[in-house]
Amino acid sequence: MTKEESRPLVLIVDDSPHVTGPLRILFEETGRRVVVADSIGSAVRACEAERPDLMLLDVSLADGDGLSVLEILHGRPALPAVTVALTGHDDELTVQRCLAAGCRDVLLKPVPVRDLLRHAAEWLPERIASA
Amino acid sequence: MTARMDEGTNALEPSASVETRLAALELAHQHALREIAELKGRDTLKTQFLANISHDLRTPLTAIITHAEILRDGILGELSARQHESVAGIIGGGRRLLEMVGEILTYARGAANQLEIVPTEVAVGDVIEQVRRLNESLVARKELCLEIQVAPEVPHVWADREKLAHILGNLLGNAIDFTPSGGRVWVHATARHESPRDTVLVEVGDSGIGIAADHHELIFQEFAQVDASASRQHHGTGLGLTIARRLVELHGGRIWLESELGRGSRFFFTLPTQPQP
Ligand SMILES: Nc1ncnc2c1ncn2[C@@H]1O[C@H](COP(=O)(O)OP(=O)(O)OP(=O)(O)O)[C@@H](O)[C@H]1O
Ligand SMILES: [Mg+2]
Repeated sequence: MTKEESRPLVLIVDDSPHVTGPLRILFEETGRRVVVADSIGSAVRACEAERPDLMLLDVSLADGDGLSVLEILHGRPALPAVTVALTGHDDELTVQRCLAAGCRDVLLKPVPVRDLLRHAAEWLPERIASA
Repeated sequence: MTARMDEGTNALEPSASVETRLAALELAHQHALREIAELKGRDTLKTQFLANISHDLRTPLTAIITHAEILRDGILGELSARQHESVAGIIGGGRRLLEMVGEILTYARGAANQLEIVPTEVAVGDVIEQVRRLNESLVARKELCLEIQVAPEVPHVWADREKLAHILGNLLGNAIDFTPSGGRVWVHATARHESPRDTVLVEVGDSGIGIAADHHELIFQEFAQVDASASRQHHGTGLGLTIARRLVELHGGRIWLESELGRGSRFFFTLPTQPQP
């Protein structure tokens, strides 16, 4: 395994560059690789082709409900080990829907950078340890 | 409605025949209905616009705040003390703006009947503690004395935890905002036996500037502030109480206040302890 590939891979799914732009900088500057997808379709393709370790998923994408990415990949090896929902609303209904769909966590945008870094260490434990 | 009826006064005069008067009334009625429908339509558009625009405002704000936090946390290199101070200013301003945009969004969703609550059994004391912690630094900065009292026999409430925190946050925020340094602010919760359901009574009080009786109704209306002039000391959206009332009522509770100018304020609200029978 090359050094490049040993770094954990984060897939950021959001249809706004306002969200993906800063997150890409954050994760790349802290030792992770980043792939970005802006729709349900491209997120599914990215999971299949790149096998990310962590997926950060916006629940409202331009082409529909972001959680359907999880539905489509359900039970398939391309499903990332950890998916975390990033949402604009943290109301109880949204939170319950995300957890029921299999998200590890539900975080309200903008997630404080410190929280993201702290959580990322939990979400990506093995790869961090071996990196 | 009255204005419209006036126009038809001639036809409505006792000298006119009953048929003429009925016809005139019917006309005025139809006209009023059309006007109401049109106003309602415009109000809906405005509310929808508010909801859309505030949702769209959040996204670029997210970019500003996250980029600034990346800089602040030294991820792109250490900052000088002055650079750090400046970036912290961007974050502080951005977070405040985000809060206000969030209030507008909540208000708009409430006005469009799009706010839903998901109630569970909630310990009021825990939520009060959560809100107290969020306001800790503000309380310290203003050197206020904040006292919390939750009677031991207070039962759980049947409430949406997030929304309850929102109500308490808005009321406590006001108590802090409108109380001069060195004053007192308190939150008390007590049990009330009521029919058909027992409730918990929460009081958020302060020793601050108080509110004249004339304004007790007004302040619950959207955008209303006692001092709405451009020179006003306090900067807010004027939506805090409108939202608090909407959320309390969604729970089936009541909200009211006791206050006099210069003599502090006490806001009260009730929450049910069990689901609606
Ligand atoms: N505890 C209080 N003491 C004195 N005046 C109050 C108090 N709470 C509310 N008010 C008055 O009621 C007005 C409306 O309050 P509300 O919380 O709805 O809006 P706001 O506080 O002005 O704005 P925001 O909540 O967005 O900061 C305030 O501007 C203030 O004039
Ligand atoms: Mg307020």
